[in-house]
Amino acid sequence: MEKAITNEKRTTGQTGRITLLGLLFALAMVLSVLEGLFPVPVPIPGVRLGLANIVVMFALLYLKKADALTLVVLKAIFVASTRGLVAGTLSLTGGLFALGVMVLILLLRRDKSTLLLISVAGAVFHNLGQITAASFIMETVLWVYLPVLLLSGIVTGFATSMMLKMTSPVFLKLHLNKF
Amino acid sequence: MKFAGRSDIIIVVILAAAAVLAWTLYTGVLGKAGTYAEIYYQSQLVKTVELKTGQDETFFIEQEPDVVFHLHPDGSISFEESDCPDKICIESGKLHLAGQYAACLPNLIYVKIVSEESADGAADIYI
Repeated sequence: MEKAITNEKRTTGQTGRITLLGLLFALAMVLSVLEGLFPVPVPIPGVRLGLANIVVMFALLYLKKADALTLVVLKAIFVASTRGLVAGTLSLTGGLFALGVMVLILLLRRDKSTLLLISVAGAVFHNLGQITAASFIMETVLWVYLPVLLLSGIVTGFATSMMLKMTSPVFLKLHLNKF
Repeated sequence: MKFAGRSDIIIVVILAAAAVLAWTLYTGVLGKAGTYAEIYYQSQLVKTVELKTGQDETFFIEQEPDVVFHLHPDGSISFEESDCPDKICIESGKLHLAGQYAACLPNLIYVKIVSEESADGAADIYI
């Protein structure tokens, strides 16, 4: 019986992974829309709550790096199609900056990596990425709000790490990451 | 994975403290009230407005009539209306310190506050 399940798992592995990615992407879209319903805590281009980053972080930590990258790109396409090309570009740059620094921390610190550090660095770099993209689009340097971006990144990064800490055990119990 | 180590908490606290200190210095001590608001459209300076107290008017730039600016009696400027989807420009609120900016990225418009010294020549429009 157990063997049959294992075999079935093997054949449905790829399908399961695609389905799981689809579900995570749907979740990221919902969180992204949900986030848009709340007023931005600091109304500066580049600052946002970053709820969808929870999904990217989950994929990075418990699935594969490529899955996290797929989610970042898909999310940017979703943002571009719903809120325009500029917003999509900001989403992509922020997402890639965040993912880049999170991967770097995981590679450098390996087992010493902590949820808080990864999450805060991700949030801060997401803001940095967006403000960099905005600076290029506007052809002017928009760094005066850097302290605010840093602080908001720390606060939202802390919030995301707490949420991930609370939700991931439930998710992991479903063994969905074994595909 | 551990939630946080001691060193992480120290790093985060130091970064937060530095950010708060820098922002407090900028808004409280070092930041000078701006004298002019420069309005850029597609990276070109299209309008310079003098910021002075006692005025209460709205205006728009001819390139983008759907974006309306508001000059407030306290000597600040803000985005009043915009046809962009996210309204971040309007939520940016009133600007009055030199260096502050607010942008309406979808319309490629931004407002930058400058002090008298850094303004290129005199204002071309006085409202």
